[in-house]
Amino acid sequence: MQQVAYHRAASEDAALALAANHPGAMFIAGGTDMLQLSKQGVVPTQLIDISRLPLDRIEPRAGALRIGALARLADVADHPDVRRDWPALAQAIAASASPQIRNLATVGGNLLQRTRCGYFRSADLPCNKREPGSGCAARDGENRLHAIFGTSPHCVATHASDLAVALLALQASVHVRGHDSARVLPIAELFRLPGDTPQRDSALGAGEMIVSVEVSRSAAARRSCYLKVRDRASFEFAVVSVAAALEIEDGVIRSARLAAGGVGTVPWRLVASERALAGARAEPAAFAAAAARAADGAQPLSQNGFKLELLRRTVRRALEGLTDA
Amino acid sequence: MIEDRAPTRYEAAQKVTGAARYQGEVRAAGMLHAALVTAPMPSARVLGIDTARARALAGCVEVLTHENALRIPPAAFLTLLQEPVVHFAGQPVALVLAETPETARAAAALVEVRYAPMPAVTALEQARDEAYAPRTAGLTATDSRRGEPEAALAAAAVRLDHCYTTPTHNHLAIEPQVVLADWNGSDLLVQTPSQAVFAHRAGLARCFGLDIERVRVISPYLGGGFGSKGGAWFPCLVLGCLAAKQLGRPVRLELLRAQMFTLVGRRQETVQQLKIGAARDGRLAALLHDTVAQTSTYGEYADPVATPTRMMYACPNVATTHRLVRVNAPQPNPARAPGEGPGSFALESAIDELAYKLDLDPIELRRRNFADHDQHAGLPWSSNGLLECYRAGAEAFGWARRPSKPGTLSDGRHALGWGMAGACYPAYRIASQAAVRINLDGRVEVRCGTQDMGSGTYTVLAQLAAEALGVPYAAVDVALGDTLLPEGPYSGGSMATASFTPAVEDAARRLRRDLIARAVADPRSPMHGRQPDQVSIADGVMRAGNRSEPLIELLARVAPQGIEAAANAAPNTKPAHSYYGFGAVFAEVRVDPDLGEIRVTRLTGAYATGRILNPLLARSQFVGGLIWGIGMALHEKTVMDKNLGRIVNDNLADYLIPVHADMPRFDIHMLTEDEPHLGSGGVKGIGMLGTCGTAAAIANAVFHATGRRIRDLPIRLEQLL
Repeated sequence: MQQVAYHRAASEDAALALAANHPGAMFIAGGTDMLQLSKQGVVPTQLIDISRLPLDRIEPRAGALRIGALARLADVADHPDVRRDWPALAQAIAASASPQIRNLATVGGNLLQRTRCGYFRSADLPCNKREPGSGCAARDGENRLHAIFGTSPHCVATHASDLAVALLALQASVHVRGHDSARVLPIAELFRLPGDTPQRDSALGAGEMIVSVEVSRSAAARRSCYLKVRDRASFEFAVVSVAAALEIEDGVIRSARLAAGGVGTVPWRLVASERALAGARAEPAAFAAAAARAADGAQPLSQNGFKLELLRRTVRRALEGLTDA
Repeated sequence: MIEDRAPTRYEAAQKVTGAARYQGEVRAAGMLHAALVTAPMPSARVLGIDTARARALAGCVEVLTHENALRIPPAAFLTLLQEPVVHFAGQPVALVLAETPETARAAAALVEVRYAPMPAVTALEQARDEAYAPRTAGLTATDSRRGEPEAALAAAAVRLDHCYTTPTHNHLAIEPQVVLADWNGSDLLVQTPSQAVFAHRAGLARCFGLDIERVRVISPYLGGGFGSKGGAWFPCLVLGCLAAKQLGRPVRLELLRAQMFTLVGRRQETVQQLKIGAARDGRLAALLHDTVAQTSTYGEYADPVATPTRMMYACPNVATTHRLVRVNAPQPNPARAPGEGPGSFALESAIDELAYKLDLDPIELRRRNFADHDQHAGLPWSSNGLLECYRAGAEAFGWARRPSKPGTLSDGRHALGWGMAGACYPAYRIASQAAVRINLDGRVEVRCGTQDMGSGTYTVLAQLAAEALGVPYAAVDVALGDTLLPEGPYSGGSMATASFTPAVEDAARRLRRDLIARAVADPRSPMHGRQPDQVSIADGVMRAGNRSEPLIELLARVAPQGIEAAANAAPNTKPAHSYYGFGAVFAEVRVDPDLGEIRVTRLTGAYATGRILNPLLARSQFVGGLIWGIGMALHEKTVMDKNLGRIVNDNLADYLIPVHADMPRFDIHMLTEDEPHLGSGGVKGIGMLGTCGTAAAIANAVFHATGRRIRDLPIRLEQLL
């Protein structure tokens, strides 16, 4: 067991100062992923505990929903405004993990959780994400659950968050602070493709932390859903998942947003499917056309070719669900 | 409801309040903590081990390797730290002893091992050509043959020939294996969750050259076992004892979850070729069942996969074989429903396929092939309630409403399917001793050195003594899980209860006779002068006609020190019957035809297993067995990377087991059955039976829902796209 230095931050500023002064330190909040990682030997050496900071507010405002980074997943999913106006968020969270974990895990931590790739999670298997240069054993190994989009020769691991997929479909933005900086970035820019530096999952700089997530109100957000397909009924990561949001006016799709989980090295927007929907009548033919484009550009591995067809079917089902009476 | 009268769990209050101390909670003064250093590759020679950095860590006391560990003789499967050879990834190559568990693990990370990797077989299919015949298949013969199977198959009007596969499983009891070994001179005290305290005692005594009386093994509570806390645990168990002896201090070794995937056995992967020949009316003409399974490079174990094929149905021409392939992988051993579990998946799937091929109801096909005696053993059944199980299960499930055509039942956009399977498991029994004692205060003590894996052994031991002696259940105390007690059966193979029941009942009845004899001989007793057969005992009170006296008053006069009786019950060495428990399991599945998701929505099981001692506990055993069947059908699979020879899902997030949301409605029917021949007090074991046939019933239901026949477990959604 590694020695871990533990710092408890008294304030947001103090947390950022600690991070600036301790390069390599990681923030810990709910700890639901961090503790698993440490048991599996993927261990940080310095932790900054931010779990007591007052960043847990869920604030439905006139134009947008702002969720503090430390809001518990269960609280977000149970919030009546979220359930009514951003149903994809509530559904994505309800389909995540278990009640016990949702009671502890935070929104920020959920977005920054690390991949479930079994090679990454074992401390001494080859994995470029954990040990750059050690190789990607999954690419020619056990890759049934790995990515078909956004892969590189160095990494084929999926991003595991359900919530991130829903936030991507709802075009959320992420508020980030550093010791002497603050910025807002679209959620799509939070996640990094593995490329040749798969060890870096996110665009956060050293010492930066997520302070909140913001999602606009929109007709599309109100007509949104999250559909998750998996091998058991609960407490499992997605084999394939789809978040969909449609704005429909007079039977015509004014805007469509689709994102998928379980298929990409980052939460994956289905741009070709979105294009197929825009301007079309909200009818089965359009949904079928959009579904047919869902796997465009996918690059299957030896064991996960089925995800292409499964993704198409999941898209279609999600869209149908949004227009069912 | 009969359940209303069943005593609830004897140790429930201790368990829910935390008063029950599991062996992982036990500590000893001055004990050292151990951590394993394990090999990262599946085959290698160890060239050298540098322990200097580990030893330099403050609090690290010793590092044992093959170079300095005490020599002990070969024992079950593999004796660790005796030679510089790595047989599988995860094999311990060093054991670190330290003052704290944290230090032990930190030091383990500092041990530097140099390996020369060797060629490895990392998957069964890589060495199929080298499959060989093991000495036995479980407790049965490796091969069997009756009639002329090949000729009968060739001549059969209807033929089926398919390959069925089942993956590696791990037991994964919720409680990790742990041992606290404590030497006092040449006396060894071992506190460990054990499915077999006496077998562990014997093994340890042999390893350390001790008389068995010098070794005491204690195991009062287990957090599950399923086969992983018997012989498969022994190599690490003995390692803890070895370290304690060598260091001269108590040593505690506890496995990590990942180590429970490599060091305490596994259900072996099987590839089963099953051929059936039948007449047009469905009568079986030939069965040929050839199994290839994985074993390790150093040990041999074969599940009795073909047992159901040999005896379940009437068929004049049957041939079965078991073959093993040596893989650089952990050692397989029995896991819940060993053999019969995977074997029944193949057989009961194939029978279902035959039913569709013949357009016969699957139950009718099975009825036509009912075996009126055990054709494999050539013996009559001691009892066989299979036909009644078909009937009762079908009625409870509503089978008569089943449309015969696949793909016709639906619920909204979901397809529904109904499937069923037969189940069988041998009713074993071994020797057992037991003692029953009554004390001056009226408390009764049952002493039997068996174990309670969580299945209810405490409760039924108390019940048996209370009933046979005539005292309230609440007046009985139970001692088990200790080698200082009379030798009880090991907890495995569904045989413990059938083994200790006659011993406990015999001891309690002897005690009862003794009490009555003393009463009628005692001039001060109200029973004085009565014939013993006129005297009864109930609720702790002795009665004859209108006279009565509490036992405690009798004891105060005639035996203030209490009275004890002991018994020894052993099975007939030349049985005249064949002993099995039978059942029928019915499954309803709900399949999303577009997305492939499969959920089991109903499971009905009807079982004929002799005398049910406690319906509450028995139902729980059957439900547990069925849940294992759900896992076998849809979830469980230990995934090995063939390039690395490493397991890549060695945690409970990635090794799927059914969770609560996967639980269907369970409808369990325990039929009344007289079992007169086993000599077990009418009891047949039930722990395994719920797992037998269940995966097939679910796969058969998936076929009924979708028209897709899946012959490879677990059934994954992509197989239905």
